[in-house]
Amino acid sequence: MMSDYDSMVNRQRKWMLYLLALLVIGAGFSSYTRVFNGLLLGSAISFYNLWLLQHKTKAFGKAVAESGSTRGALGTFSRLAAVALAVLVAIRFEETFHIIAVVVGIASSYFIIILDIIVQYVTNSRNSKKSNS
Amino acid sequence: MEVLAAAIAIGLAALGAGLGNGMIVSKTVEGIARQPELRGPLQGTMFIGVALVEAIPIIAAVIAFMAIFM
Repeated sequence: MMSDYDSMVNRQRKWMLYLLALLVIGAGFSSYTRVFNGLLLGSAISFYNLWLLQHKTKAFGKAVAESGSTRGALGTFSRLAAVALAVLVAIRFEETFHIIAVVVGIASSYFIIILDIIVQYVTNSRNSKKSNS
Repeated sequence: MEVLAAAIAIGLAALGAGLGNGMIVSKTVEGIARQPELRGPLQGTMFIGVALVEAIPIIAAVIAFMAIFM
């Protein structure tokens, strides 16, 4: 059976893939190619950051539960380096990527985490109301 | 001057995030060590906490790089 954590990870991955698909459509078919390219670059890096944090959190919890000691860290520096790379690429290829769009794209995984929490809260409260009545 | 601004931005953000992350992780480790069967919910809470705490240093890194290179 899938744990709560694994189902949360899958939901967030699904939301992120939907967002990336929408951005690809936007970059391909709209006239704001530069903005959508920036959003796409930022969201791709944000997806990598989200995946890394999910993976490291799971490995961390497993290590603590099984051995009682903490091996490794949560990968904060890797995430900062990925973001720095995205910003440097956006600054170097300014004619292809809109820098503000890259920054908004980088923050997209946080919006998705918050959105997932809100959706889960609403769904759970609806289900508990139904089961009470 | 830009380099100083970048250093202050990323330094202060890293200080705050380091303290916040340390508190979150230490309490989670304590909780999992006490009750290993609660690993799933504690992991989820830690994940959300760490992700939201790290948003600020990530944005600070962006601002620092923009201050230096733009």
